[in-house]
This record gives sequence, C-alpha cells and structure tokens, in this order.
Amino acid sequence: MERTFAREVEMLRRGDGEYFEGEGILAITKALLQSGVSYVGGYQGAPVSHLMDVLTSDSKGLMAELGVHTEVCANEAAACAMLAASVNYPIRGAVTWKSTVGTNVASDALSNVASAGVIGGSLIVLGEDYGEGSSIIQERSHAFAMKCSVWLVDPRVNHPRVVELVEKSFELSEASNTPVMMEFRIRACHVTGRFATKNNKKPKFSMNDPIPEPEYNLDRIALPPSTYLQEKMKVEQRFPAAIQFIQENGMNEFFDGDCDDVGIICQGGLYNAVIRGLQQLGLADPFGKTRIPIYCMNVTYPMIPDEIKRFCANKRSVCIVEEGFPDYLEQALNATLRKADLNTTVVGKDVFPKAGEYQSEVMMNGLAKFIEGAVPKGIDLGPVATATKSVADTKAFAAELLGAPIPKRPPGFCTGCPERPVFSALKLVQQDPEIGKMHVSADIGCHTFSTLPPFNIGNTVTGYGLGLASSAGVKDSLKGHTISIMGDGGFWHNGLSTGITGAVFNEHDNLLIVMANGYSSATGQQQLPSSTAGGLRPADTVVPIENALKGVGVKWVKKQYTYKVGKMRKLIKQALTSSEKGLKVIIAEAECQIAKQRREKPVSTRLLKSGKRIVRTRFGVDEDTCTGDHSCIRLSGCPSLSVKPNPDPLRKDPVASVLNSCVGCGLCGEVSDAAVLCPSFYKAEIIQNPRLIDRIAHKIRTSVILKFLGKTETSEFNDEEASRIGTKMAAE
Amino acid sequence: MNKLPERPISMVIGALGGEGGGVLTTWVVRAAEMCRYPTQSTSIPGVAQRTGATNYYVEIFPAPYDALNGQELVMGLYPAPGNMDIVVTSELMEAGRMLENGMVTPDRTTLIASTHRVYSVVEKSAMGDGLFRSDKLDNAAQKLAKRAVLFDMSTLAEKEGTVLNAIVLGVIAGSCELPIPIEKFRDSIREAGVAVESNIKGFEIGLAYMNGEVTPPISASKKTRRTSLSAESLVANVLASYPAETQAIVTEGVKRLVDYQDASYAKLFLNRLEDILDIDRNCRDNSNSWILTSETARYLALMMSYEDIIRVADLKTRRSRMDRVRAEVLAKPGEPIRLTEFLKPGFDEITSVMPSWLGRPIMNWAHRNKWASNYNFAMRVRTNTIYGFLRLWILSKLRFYRPRTYRFVEEQKAIITWLETIKNAAANDYQLAVEISKLANLRKGYSDTHKRGLQNFNRIMEEVAIPSSTTKRNPSFGAEGLAKLRTAALADPEGDALEEAFKGLKALSISAAE
Repeated sequence: MERTFAREVEMLRRGDGEYFEGEGILAITKALLQSGVSYVGGYQGAPVSHLMDVLTSDSKGLMAELGVHTEVCANEAAACAMLAASVNYPIRGAVTWKSTVGTNVASDALSNVASAGVIGGSLIVLGEDYGEGSSIIQERSHAFAMKCSVWLVDPRVNHPRVVELVEKSFELSEASNTPVMMEFRIRACHVTGRFATKNNKKPKFSMNDPIPEPEYNLDRIALPPSTYLQEKMKVEQRFPAAIQFIQENGMNEFFDGDCDDVGIICQGGLYNAVIRGLQQLGLADPFGKTRIPIYCMNVTYPMIPDEIKRFCANKRSVCIVEEGFPDYLEQALNATLRKADLNTTVVGKDVFPKAGEYQSEVMMNGLAKFIEGAVPKGIDLGPVATATKSVADTKAFAAELLGAPIPKRPPGFCTGCPERPVFSALKLVQQDPEIGKMHVSADIGCHTFSTLPPFNIGNTVTGYGLGLASSAGVKDSLKGHTISIMGDGGFWHNGLSTGITGAVFNEHDNLLIVMANGYSSATGQQQLPSSTAGGLRPADTVVPIENALKGVGVKWVKKQYTYKVGKMRKLIKQALTSSEKGLKVIIAEAECQIAKQRREKPVSTRLLKSGKRIVRTRFGVDEDTCTGDHSCIRLSGCPSLSVKPNPDPLRKDPVASVLNSCVGCGLCGEVSDAAVLCPSFYKAEIIQNPRLIDRIAHKIRTSVILKFLGKTETSEFNDEEASRIGTKMAAE
Repeated sequence: MNKLPERPISMVIGALGGEGGGVLTTWVVRAAEMCRYPTQSTSIPGVAQRTGATNYYVEIFPAPYDALNGQELVMGLYPAPGNMDIVVTSELMEAGRMLENGMVTPDRTTLIASTHRVYSVVEKSAMGDGLFRSDKLDNAAQKLAKRAVLFDMSTLAEKEGTVLNAIVLGVIAGSCELPIPIEKFRDSIREAGVAVESNIKGFEIGLAYMNGEVTPPISASKKTRRTSLSAESLVANVLASYPAETQAIVTEGVKRLVDYQDASYAKLFLNRLEDILDIDRNCRDNSNSWILTSETARYLALMMSYEDIIRVADLKTRRSRMDRVRAEVLAKPGEPIRLTEFLKPGFDEITSVMPSWLGRPIMNWAHRNKWASNYNFAMRVRTNTIYGFLRLWILSKLRFYRPRTYRFVEEQKAIITWLETIKNAAANDYQLAVEISKLANLRKGYSDTHKRGLQNFNRIMEEVAIPSSTTKRNPSFGAEGLAKLRTAALADPEGDALEEAFKGLKALSISAAE
C-alpha cells in the first residue's frame, strides 16, 4: 500500500474528551466506528481509498475488538451488495467507492437494496471524483439518488459537522428504511481538521455477538408483487419519513444575514466556497458571518419543501449554487416555489457556468453577477465590481507579461514503471509494415496514460476492466489489427467475466495484453487476488492470472517480463500473425516500481550503511554523441529521461540526459536496442562498498586503460591555455 | 482583547506529483498547529500524483484557538486568485502557471519558486528544440509579486545532498511571511520523523539563503573546448580574417574538425566556408549580421563531423568521458563502476567504414534487400574492462583511414551539393540561402532516425531547395516555404506533418499557376 496509517489508527481509538486530527476521509472512518457499524466494505479509488486502506490494513486489531467485519470487495457491485445484511437485520453497515464510476458498477445492487429497503442503518460513502484532480468522466451522483429514491447527503466541509451528519445519516436510514448516500468531493476528502471524538460503539450484533436467527420475508424480495409494494412504500412511507427526519433533526442549516430580501441556497459541500467568495466581495467574515442569508443543503435529495418555502418567502430573489449538470436542484427549486405559489426569482445556472467545478474564481464571479443583478438592499455594488475586475485585470496582465500560454503538464508513468516498456513495444510493433497501425482498446488504470504523449496509444476507454469487451464490435469492422489492454486491477474487477469469458464464448481471435504489475496501482497499490507482493504473500493464497485464464478456456497464454522490449515486440507480433484460432493473452508481468522501491530501498540503505557490497544501477547518455532528435524520449517518456541544453556550441537542439532519479530499470538500454536508436546510452553499475577483488580489478583495468589514453590526450592544452585563448578571442 | 485578523493567511504550493509537496504541506501545517493557529490544508492528489502538475492549499488563521472565544472558522478549499499571501512552486514553469492563473498579485503575494526546469513530456519529445521559453517568467514574476524569492533550489539541493522541499521549507520560514517561530519548523520536521537529518540540513540551507548566507550555485556555463596544438594556427587564422560575429562558431568548427580528423580537414572546412563568407562580405548592407556565414559554418562543421562508428568509439574512449560518466552517475571516489555501452550496428554502420569500392555495392544491395535494410546486431561493450575498452579504442584509431571510407565519400558529395545550392540561392535571395543552410539540421541521429532525416533532407532539397535556388519562383517556395517544410519535418517522426506541408505547397503552386 502507498502509505501506512499507524498514526491514524491510534486516532481511530480515541474516545470521549479526546480529539481527532487528520484528513476528512479518515474523520468519516472514525464517525462510522462511533456509529456502531457491524460491517464495512468497499472498492478502492481516489478520493476514498484511504478509508478502505486504513480499515483493512493497520487497524485489523481494532476491528476485531469491535467485532466489525471489513471486506475488500471485488468491485463496487459486490460492495453495494454487502448492504443486503441490513435489509433483513437491524445491523448498521457502510460501504464506499469512487463515484460516479463506482456507482455505475454498483447500480444493480443499489436499485435492489433501495427497493427492498433496509432496517439497519446503511451508509454509502461516495468519493465524488469531480473537477480538478479527477480521473474520470464528469457526472453527478445526484441522479442515482433520484432514480433509486435513496437520500443524498452533501455535508458542508467541517469535521465536527461531517461527523455529526454521518451519525445522523444512520438514524435517517433507519427512520426511513432507506440507504443513505453521502458524497465528498476530492478536496473535502483530503482536507485536514479536528473534532472532539466520542467512544467507538460496539455494534449490538456483529461477528462477536451474532444474530440468533435468519429472517425470511417475501416483502424484501425483488419479485412481483413485492416490487410493486416496495415502489409504493418508497413514495408513501419512506419519502415522507425522510423529510420529517431531516427537518426535525436540522440536517440542513440556515445562516442569517442582514440583506434578507435576497438569499443563497447551496449544496453543503459548496458552503465553504460560497463563504470565501462572499468574503472576497466584502460580504462575509472568516467566521462565516454573512450579509446575505444562506440556506445550506446538507441533504440535497430529497429537497425539503417546507424549508424552501420558509427561506424564500419574503425574498425577491434567491441564487441556487449547484455544481455540475443537469441542474436538478434548480429545477426542483423552481417546481417547489411554483407549487407554493411563491414569486421569488430563481437565479442559478444563468450566472454560474452550466458545467465544471465551482472553483474560487468561478464562485466569486457567479456570486458577483447574482448580486449585481439582484441588488440586495444595503449593499454597495462598487467593491463587488472592483473585486472581480481586479482578478480579471491581474490575469490579463499576467498573460501579457508571459507572452504565451504555459504548456500543460499531464500525468504520466512513473520513473521505472513496468508498464511503460509494453507501450514502447507496442509503438515499435506498429512501425513494422507487416503489422501497421492498430486499434487499441484501452482500459482504466495507470496504463491509461498510454493515451497521452509520448505514446498516444489507445483509441477508446470505456470503463474499468472493459478493454477487451469494448473491442468486440470494432475488431471485425477494421482492416488492421484490434488489440485490447487490461490491467490486473481491471481483470479482477470484472474483466475476467465481462471480457475474457465473453471473448472465449464468442470465439474472438484477437490479442489481449494484461498488465500485471501486481497491484491496483493507480488507486494506491492495494493488493489483488493475483498479488504476490514481491513474494511476501503466502503462495497458497495467490490466484495466478494464467490459472484463471486457463480455467475459462483461453488456450494461448504467454507470460512476458515487461522490460524486455525486444521480446515483447516479438511476442506481440507472434500473437497477431499466429494462425491459431481463439483469444490470445499476453500477461505483461513486472512489479509496480513504486511498490518495489518502497520495499527494497530501506533494505539497500540499511545494507549500504552496514558496509555490505551493493550495486547501484543507472543509465546515462553521452552528451557528445547525442544528436538531439529525442527518439528515445518518444519511446519512453520516463520522468528521469529528460533533456538539457546542448553543451556543444555548434548544436542548438537540447540533448537527452538521464536525471539522478533514474532507478536503473533498464528500459533505456532495451529501447535503444530494440528500436536501434543510437549509441549514446550507457549503463553504469556503481559498486558501493566494493570488495577487495573489485578494487583490485578496478585498479588494474584503470591503469591499463589510462596507459593507452595517456598517449592520445597529451596533445591537449591545459585549462589555463584554453582560457587564455578565450580571453584573446573576446578581446579581439 | 485584540481585534481578530480579518482573514486567514492563504498559501498554495504548486508541485509535480511524486515530488514531496504533500510532505512540505504537512511540515507547514504541523508547525502552524504547534503554535495553536487554526489551520487547514487540502490537496488534489488523484491522478496528478503520477508526475502531473498538482497543488496543495493551506490556510492558517493567525490567531490562536484560545483567542477565538469558541467561534468556528469557515476555511476555504481552493486557492483563490487575488487572495493569495504565499505562492510556492517547486519548479519554474509551475511558477508560470501560478502567474497565469492570477494567483500572484502585487498587493499581497510572496512568490517563492525554484527556478530549475523539469521539462514536460511535450517539451522533451519534440524532434528538435521544443523547450518552453522561460525568459519572460522572471520579469513577470518581479512585476506581479509583492516579493519574489527565485533561485535554483534543485541544484543547491543536489549539491548539498538534501532534498528540494526541505530547502523550500527553510525559505518559507526565513521569509518571515508566516507568524511561526523558526524553531517550530524544525520541530515539525523532527515530529514527522522521516529522514530528519537530511531534511533539517536542507531546511538550514534554505534559511541561510534567506539570511543572505548562501549564494546559490550558478549553473555551469558552456565550457570552451580545449584547443589542440594543431588547431592553434588555424584558429589564429580565423581570428584574423573572420568578422567578430562569426568567430565563435567558426573557431568551434575548426576545433571540432581537428578533433574529428586532422588539421588539413579543418583547412578544407575553412576553404569551403570562404565562398560563403565572400557572399556575406559582398552583400553587406549590415542587416544580415553575417548570419549566412555563421549558420553555414555551424552546419558545415556538423556535416563534416558526421557520426560514424570511428567517431563514436573515439568519443567513448576518452579520459574526459570516463570522468564525466563518474560525475554524472554520482560515483564516489573509490567506487568502481561497470560501464556497458549499447551498440547496435547494421549494414549502414559497417559499410560506413568500408572502402568506397566495397561499401557502395553492398549498400546498394542492402537498400534493395528487405532483410539487410533491417539487419543489425546487438553489441554490448563493457568499456571499463581492458578487452571492451580496446575494442572501441582500436576502432577509434581507424580515423586516419576515414577519408577512404564509403560514408566519407557520400557525405562529401552531399556537402558539395548543399554548399552549391546555398551559393546559388544567395545570388537571388539571401534569406533562402540561410534557410537552405539550416536545412542541414535534419541530418541527425543514428540508424532509422538518421535515414528518415536524410530522406526528408534529400526530398526537400530536390523538390524545393535546388529548383528554387536557380530560378525565381513563387515566394512561397522561397525562404518561407522552406522554413515551413523544415519545421514540419521535425514535427512528427511519422512524417505526417511534412506530407501535409508538401501538399500545402503544391496547392499554392497550382493556384499561383492559375
């Protein structure tokens, strides 16, 4: 795993009279324990990975004490299906994943659990991966809440309030027999803060205190006529119960302001940004004291009509601050006001952008437009206009001074990444006239970076583990080859069933490359069924990918160590030109370099300190033979393979240069070999703490070599003479 | 009771994923928390953590908890343009990004940035020089920031054996822009407990810099190459007869060719250049600043010192090279290194050192033969061993015999045609001549890259440069057209852009004919 959570686990144990300090997602984790959950499950993914990581790694002891069952689910559908436990039994549970992609996967289970209803509090913690830093398609989780009739909590970012709302959400779930979804945006998951902790609550029923009897109840089964009844229950019982609970428990918040002829209604998660925006316009202070009243919707679904009516009555105009598209809240607000026969003007996506994250500048400008249009009583519009203008002016001035836009810096494969060489091989294979350009059905994972420069490999990405499945329609409609990529993460998430069994069943004849780096790396190096963790995991618990492949009927399976670019290229070509029928799978295998370095670096540092002989490998480029055409970089893109100004005064193009961050993975040598690039690369193996024999060999070799060199280089000037000539030149 | 501050101190840290921006943020946050200041930080790791541009945002309310009387703060999650007190970036282009986004304003922002460059993939992978021109950044930073602390922290970190983010922390502490006593920062590093010694060292360096006790290393300027005895008189000739604007490059050319072959070869270079110099002399309206002579000298010297295996072997078996490698890979004195060279000669490389009468027929055959044109074999040479070293050293001694090789003859032919074309063009159109001389930049690289460059060079020469040099034609076929073709040839290795550029020219010529 990417990090350890020893300090956090200690925080999770804290109780009455103590404080928790840490990031948002872990505060939520603590809140789950304070709420007395019996089980927690989920599937990793930014920004909620840490919730899973902390519960399933370092805090196993604590979980056992409390009797909480934790499960690293195979995917989000499996995680959501765990909530079935709360359908029949009064036990609380929480599951988590990245949304909306994870919610898409979980949908089947979500609909069924939502329809059956729950009697134990059920909370779904969603990492709303939206806006800057997101790695997925931009959609809202809100739609899922609406279509399934589950409640959506969008808490304002404040640790004590978030923890309180988590606890309330379990009660809400029980009061309305409905699962509750709680969404946290990226920055909210990573925000640091503190709150006063309470003792963790031991669940009434758990692994330690099991439920005595199983329950049978046809009403909870997704079959007619129960389903008709369940739909009716949603409308007639659960929905009103939720509204009543939310209202009675004050889950939403009202903040008063003196300019009460107008108001702002916002999603809870945007409250901080609204306050900061108002502050920049001179209309709020750092403690959230605002001049314009705010109705903060910590629950965004369902909307509470009575609260809306109460807030909007006597207001000329309200602004709804709602991030993302479609504008569900704005529509609901308009409908609510219309039904209540209130004439308050609703402003929303006409002053705010219809799409995209509401970052600070967008927020300030949107609020300013609203204020300038609504003209609240007692507000001087002058400073408002000045504030927005000065930001715009600064940016214009900066653009003028800079002269050109700053180039983007997209993410890429890490230094020494084992997936990079596969794409070097794929690039080279396509240069082979017998193969030509291919359609590459890409997948989700670190390997998605292949779609970016310098590889630009990958024609579609349709979902996690769907690389192979998404090639089905195109493979026979294209003249050239179609190949698919899948990571080991995607393979176990659903690729094995969705892609491979389907391809075998339908007698596909194409190539699939499975990137087996041993972890779900992009989400923080969580282990998978096939992970060996560098040999640390007991062999009998590991499920090798090739066994799974053979089990579902794949006959052509080859394993290849990724760093061997030449061999990989040959194997890919072999697969593509083979006369054998059926799906061909290359397992491209080599451990995630980050995980490997994390494990091995401390060991080698220790050995080095204790005087043991250690060979450090790294690559280099001879600057005087490099001609600066950068073919090597286009086949690698390694962060440690960079450029520097050409030291040769005759040449203008920068030369390639290997930085000290090089981990000596060997790709540079492989690529220059396989692609027949240039003779500039060298591999240097530095022998640290050399033995006597190393030193003697070195001494003999060096002295002989220097004997030969001595003759040839004596004809050179020394430095003083060179600089004398230089000065002379300058003088003339 | 004192009046509470009107707003928190806002600080954004722009970094590259995997660079330790998170650690830096934690240090700052913990130091602030030790002072009992309400503090909040957030970040967007996500995919950006894999080498992309990312940022960390910190707000510190400069009044201790106890002074708030139980009031709760509402802190922001986003850095806001026009609202930043401290902007920190670990790299120069990221500083540019902050300026571009309006995060740095003259009324309140202190900009702290390391001025080294970490090149983005797009910059690095260009076939020629694709680097972002950062010369305007400094001026922009000075104008937009209230206070700008800009120096190369990366080189300093490397020199001192510490890490960049620790130096940055020292600079932040030393800037006194945060109401946190210096000692709290040290405590924060110690509390984090990771690589404490080296981080404290970096911190002290950053601090010392702010106190004016450290001058950052100036990045090494271009080294003047050593001049061998046999080059000396030639260099003196150049100094005597060439205009000052061209001397640096012509001298460099002379030195290069003496080093590459011998003094008489360098003399040939000067003889060849003589005609070009005459052109510049004759058309001195002083607007040209001898550009034709300089550029032709540059590329003539490069073409004459083409890279064959003799040259590569020569460069790889020099004492200076061994020292450079040791320095580059940070080998400590007394640490032996094993050095492996990756060579992959094919027919091109082998025939390049054959005598012309033997090399030509083989190459003619190899060009037609599919197997031969793709044939090559991997040679791993261990140049730290006596045997490996001698293999290359002996090869490098074949230098005396180079003028009789097939490749040498071919190169000289190409040089003569190229020079003739430049001369012809100069008679009509000076700028065109300059562009033709620059075209030689396409002839670079090894094996496939070299073949492709050569093909592009030949095609542009034959289809555009040579015809345009002798006749007056549509100006789009002149300097401008040639510059476009040259840029296009360097746009992508697949040659798509060049194909497009040629199509564009054809379309022009048709419309001109109509």
